[in-house]
Amino acid sequence: MREGHISKAFDGELAGLHIRVLEMGGLVLDQVREAAHAYGDWDAHAAQRVAEREGTVGGYAAAVYDLQLALIARRNPVASDLRAIVGLGRAAYELDRAGADARRIARTVLAPGGRPGRSTASDARHLADLALTLLRSCLEALDVLDGEAAAQIIERDHDLDAEYAAGLRRLLSRAMENPANLDVTVEAAFALKSLERIGDHACNVARQVAFMATGPGAACAAPAGRERGESGERKPGEAGAGK
Amino acid sequence: MDEQLRSVADRPERIAPAAAAAHRGAADAGTPEPQAAAAGRSAPPALAAGRSAPGRLDQDAGATVGQVTVEDPVFSCRNVNVHYGPKHALRDVSLDVGRRQVLAMIGPSGCGKSTFLRCLNRMNDTIPGARVTGQILLEGRDIHDPARDVAMLRARVGMVFQKPNPFPKSIYDNVAFGPRLHGLTRSRADLDELVCTSLQRAGLWDEVKDRLHHVGTGLSGGQQQRLCIARTIAVKPDVILMDEPCSALDPIATAHIEDLIDELKESFAIAIVTHSMQQAARVSQRTAYFHLGSLVEVGDTDRIFTNPRHRLTEDYITGRFG
Repeated sequence: MREGHISKAFDGELAGLHIRVLEMGGLVLDQVREAAHAYGDWDAHAAQRVAEREGTVGGYAAAVYDLQLALIARRNPVASDLRAIVGLGRAAYELDRAGADARRIARTVLAPGGRPGRSTASDARHLADLALTLLRSCLEALDVLDGEAAAQIIERDHDLDAEYAAGLRRLLSRAMENPANLDVTVEAAFALKSLERIGDHACNVARQVAFMATGPGAACAAPAGRERGESGERKPGEAGAGK
Repeated sequence: MDEQLRSVADRPERIAPAAAAAHRGAADAGTPEPQAAAAGRSAPPALAAGRSAPGRLDQDAGATVGQVTVEDPVFSCRNVNVHYGPKHALRDVSLDVGRRQVLAMIGPSGCGKSTFLRCLNRMNDTIPGARVTGQILLEGRDIHDPARDVAMLRARVGMVFQKPNPFPKSIYDNVAFGPRLHGLTRSRADLDELVCTSLQRAGLWDEVKDRLHHVGTGLSGGQQQRLCIARTIAVKPDVILMDEPCSALDPIATAHIEDLIDELKESFAIAIVTHSMQQAARVSQRTAYFHLGSLVEVGDTDRIFTNPRHRLTEDYITGRFG
């Protein structure tokens, strides 16, 4: 049995789409890492770099959607090819959203507001480590379409959600003790939420890997973070239940 | 943006290893763009080979994957074998044909799908040296029962062929031939109404109502095929068999026939052999994949074309062989 399609051009086009999404993932990984560093160390230069590169992330997403449309129109894909094209498009969407969350974190540093306290910065670094680990793992699974690894990644999101909930509780406790810094608290809460959302997006990429590898059913559960209404924003303090 | 893309690619530790390696290889060859790079090499193994979770795709070519039976079938076939002389053309096929639905049969040339189709109205009887064994029940009765009238069987199980074959008679007489032969009408008025209804159901009435006395062979290819369908349904069959009915037609005529199939399935069971997987996906509710005389997989069309369970089915419909 030959590897690949009879049409080598189709092989090349699929590979091109796959690589494009992986490159986008690498860029988003960079963005998240740099945004987390910018927030934790209050580095405005790093934050500026993240803000400037956001357009590149969007450019990748647009290119992926164009490739996806062209493949569907020209190749009439079915079965695993169709799942790959649809799954990669959805993965690109999730990576785009993760990039947007990284930008939000960076803007917190650039906005005229206050630097978070040491405890909040420490919580943010810890959350960032967890989110980056999830993101890297999902990209590795995406590279080789490892459905089993993807399923394990989805499970690990609960840890990040629990850490986010705990960090938010600590933040709110400190805010109640010192209500004068409410604006800083609000920005810090948004930053923590963005890190939690990055973990959700990584898990949604993992869901697409499972979908591509094993078919419909793997991705049927509600995507992480979008189980309530259109905005999908859960109330502060809620753990990651109901995924 | 291209420069920024390349700068990302130059930091492979941030990209998953396999894709980065491929991209570096292509960059060394002077083609830094991902698409250009990918065009010069095989796809990543996971995508190119349609790799899936271990065990998801059944590998045993001997057993049919999927549900061969349906509730209240029109046709029920069990362990059907066909030999053309020494050649074993169909191997132990078991498959039901359901009511008011379209069953599409796909597979590479010589896989046995047309052979199976011809079993259903005993057209293989007309082939010298052909031998059919196994059980084929139409509405619960064996079609090979010696007491059975084969001509009546072929009225109940009509067939539309790849090349439109209207009789060299008028449009009216083409449709009226079967009802006259089988005595289905009692008067000229009944026959007129039957011809009109059959042509309407075949989507041809408006185009020919003013020239029913014109010869059928004077119509266009698509019209001739619809005339053949009208001729088939005029004798009120239980099942309509279609052997690549659109392969000789242009895309517009094909679209008309597919639309007609969609309407006809409300009244008849339809079994269609087609080389076009896209057509099978468009018109059918169940799809059966044949390979080297065996029925490999059968199931809901949506599932077959999004998530087939057998490797052979996956490879055929995705164009990895065939």
